[in-house]
Amino acid sequence: MNFNIDFTGEFFAFFLLAVCAIVGAVLAINFEKVVHTTLSLAFTFVSLAGLYVLLEAEFVAFVQVLLYVGAVTILMIFGIMMTKHQGEGKEPGRPLLEALAAIGCLCLFGILFYAIRSAGFPAPAADLPEDNTLSIGKLLYSAYAIPFELVSVLLTVAFIGAVALAKREEEDS
Amino acid sequence: MATVFSQYAWLVPAFPLAAFAILTALGRSLSRTGAWIATVASLASFVYSVMIAAERLAKNAEDYIGGFAWLRAGSVNLTAGYEVTNLTALMLVVVTLVALLVNLYSLGYMKDDERISTFFSYVALFTASMLGLVLADNLMILYVCWELVGVCSFLLIGFWYRKPEARAAAKKAFIVTRIGDLGLLIAILLLFWYMPGHALDFASLHNVFYAQSGIISTSITTLIALLIFLGAVGKSGQFPLHVWLPDAMEGPTPISALIHAATMVAAGVFLVVRTFDIFAAAPAALDTVAVVGAFTAIFAATIGLAQNDIKRILAYSTVSQLGYMMLAVGAGSTTSAMFHLFTHAFFKALLFLGAGSVIHAVHTQDIREMGGLGSRMKITAWTFGIGALALSGIPPFSGFWSKDAVLTAALDDNPWLFAVGVVAAFLTALYMARLFFLVFAGKPRGDAGAHARAKESPAVMTAPLIVLAALAVVAGFVQTPFSGWLGSWLTGGAEEEHASGLAIVASVAASLLGLYLGWLIYSKGAVRRDAVSSRFPRLVRLAERKYYIDELYDALFVKSLRGLGKALSAFDDVVVDGAVRLAGRSALALGRLNTRLQNGQIQTYGLAALVAAVVLVLAIAGRRFW
Amino acid sequence: MLGSYLTLAAVLFCIGLYGVLVKRNAIIVLLSIELMLNAVNLNLIAFSKYGVVPSLTGQVFSLFTMTVAAAEAAVGIAVLIALYRNRATVNVDEYDELRR
Repeated sequence: MNFNIDFTGEFFAFFLLAVCAIVGAVLAINFEKVVHTTLSLAFTFVSLAGLYVLLEAEFVAFVQVLLYVGAVTILMIFGIMMTKHQGEGKEPGRPLLEALAAIGCLCLFGILFYAIRSAGFPAPAADLPEDNTLSIGKLLYSAYAIPFELVSVLLTVAFIGAVALAKREEEDS
Repeated sequence: MATVFSQYAWLVPAFPLAAFAILTALGRSLSRTGAWIATVASLASFVYSVMIAAERLAKNAEDYIGGFAWLRAGSVNLTAGYEVTNLTALMLVVVTLVALLVNLYSLGYMKDDERISTFFSYVALFTASMLGLVLADNLMILYVCWELVGVCSFLLIGFWYRKPEARAAAKKAFIVTRIGDLGLLIAILLLFWYMPGHALDFASLHNVFYAQSGIISTSITTLIALLIFLGAVGKSGQFPLHVWLPDAMEGPTPISALIHAATMVAAGVFLVVRTFDIFAAAPAALDTVAVVGAFTAIFAATIGLAQNDIKRILAYSTVSQLGYMMLAVGAGSTTSAMFHLFTHAFFKALLFLGAGSVIHAVHTQDIREMGGLGSRMKITAWTFGIGALALSGIPPFSGFWSKDAVLTAALDDNPWLFAVGVVAAFLTALYMARLFFLVFAGKPRGDAGAHARAKESPAVMTAPLIVLAALAVVAGFVQTPFSGWLGSWLTGGAEEEHASGLAIVASVAASLLGLYLGWLIYSKGAVRRDAVSSRFPRLVRLAERKYYIDELYDALFVKSLRGLGKALSAFDDVVVDGAVRLAGRSALALGRLNTRLQNGQIQTYGLAALVAAVVLVLAIAGRRFW
Repeated sequence: MLGSYLTLAAVLFCIGLYGVLVKRNAIIVLLSIELMLNAVNLNLIAFSKYGVVPSLTGQVFSLFTMTVAAAEAAVGIAVLIALYRNRATVNVDEYDELRR
């Protein structure tokens, strides 16, 4: 295997952000309190946004911050607030399940890593357009108009559905 | 002479078979009516048998063989047919007559039994099978009927199946006769193998073994003859397979009279007579038959002397008399064997029915608790006395003539066999005298109330006794030393009866001596009853315990077989069942594992999916490298 | 450079998967699913830049993914709250209706 790594500025930035993302994720798994987990994952999401910027996807990075760090995390915090979380981490562990899950995940990672390393990607043929946001906007309203509209419908349905789910149960109780 | 009736001889067993079918189909709803149906069917059989016999009494009646091809496989041709000869005609009359009388008698004897229609259906099936056995024109059909009568015997011995002794006796009878049946089956298979054209009919057997002897080697012939004799030994209760017959007395008394005295047990003798050509070609087998018969005759008579159960005494007497018949066959005289079978059927059936009448009256079978019944049951006592005299061989009763014929044949063959026969005749007279005097003479012993209530049986029971008594008196005159009519009829005039003064004198002297001694001991009291038992207690005890044959068999065969059974059962438990349990448990364990997997928790399912995906990828990727 | 991004994505995906499979708290499970989706997004955007034919399609695709993820999160939380009202717990291993 050949790690032909150029020690450029981009690499350092990537390395830093990657470490931040992984640490955030690992901590999220290890924290006992749900709130800590959520915040730790928010940190990971922010790191990922940085990586997107590094990948010249400024619009996606912006949306990432807005959507994940903003909306989803806040939603989760609301969820945490509306449910009780006493006795966290006091239940007996499930050693068999945990061990098997760890082995499975490691195997999966091994397979993926092996696949990535043995793939041998050719160098890109061209560069991305400069004005990222404008290009995406144009694409969304031309080539991807129909999927865009469908997604908006989906969002509406999910919104109404979520309201209906929560509301009906309230009436029942 | 046309054979009008003989052509339809199959009707004879058809009547009782139809009665059996009706009784089985309609069952309990008939109850008393069913008994009458069976009786009428047996009457029809009897009438038809008499017509056949009357037809055959004409001189030079042809033998008639009828039937149809039953099975064709390659060159093998099995027929299901019937054969009417003088011998079968004689047997037909004997069987149907005894069956008819027993049916009549049972109408009274079994009156209060709730399963009366079942009883009569069994009797009908037995009668049909026995007649089929008699009529069979080949060994295959004979064997089928042979087994059928065995089954009926089993069913009827165990008829009162709530009594454990009856169940045990039924099982014992079935298993012990099975040993003999196996011998017969092997003999039939051997014959099938060696006979030219795989023929099994009696006509071919006669041709091969009589006319063209030498086709089958002497050693094989001897083997076949001995195996057939083994079948006869089982069925006819000869030593050493006699043990089932006395126990079979647990069945209803009419059954003892019909099956275990007159007909089925005589089937062994009939079989040997029917296949006599094979025995004639194998002198060693014939000698075996004679020796076994003679030994059984004297052996069973000594046991009969020491028994106290009225039916058991008669059972051992039956064994002894069957030994006589075997002795006669072994001595080469089929005529005297059939003659003794013929007379014995009547007087032994008479004795059993008389015993049944006594049991019916006093409700016990122990002769020590009887006595003085002669005044209360005149008809039974008189007829029983006639039967006893006939059995003892007192002239002019039928038993005298037939026993004389047997002894004459034995004298011609071997003086020793004759001597044994005479001693057995003496013992027979002695135990019959003991039985008669203890039951009917003297003062009542045992339960006085039961004796006071004892009264003569109803007419439906005494009528057969009178008929049989008459027959026991006159049946002997068909064959006397002065006119050998039966012999010439049966064998077509080949055998000339010759009188033997020595045989007559010796047998009459032995019988009279036995009766006189019995009278001295058991009626007059001139000789003390324990004169012998006090002097030779061991000897008497030996006879009482039936020479410990049952115990010997129990120790030798039953225990060892049971041990083998236990070992096999243990093997079955541990190895076979273990394997089954292992299969079951592993499936169960797999099930438990799956149950734990199916815990309804989505995470477990997800994990399973992950593991499966990893394994799948590894497997697919792995295939590339192999 | 592409390999590094993909490896990072694989790492995050596996951590998310582990969280989904092991964690008891339903909210953390939902969050872990979001983490897995993010790993996928990272893949898409990395390919959009370093793929053989660089294209914005990957970015557009990741936008759709985010939208669907947001909808999923909203519905997921709604279901969770409904379940919590019924069962008074957020422990995933006590939700075993599938067994019945």
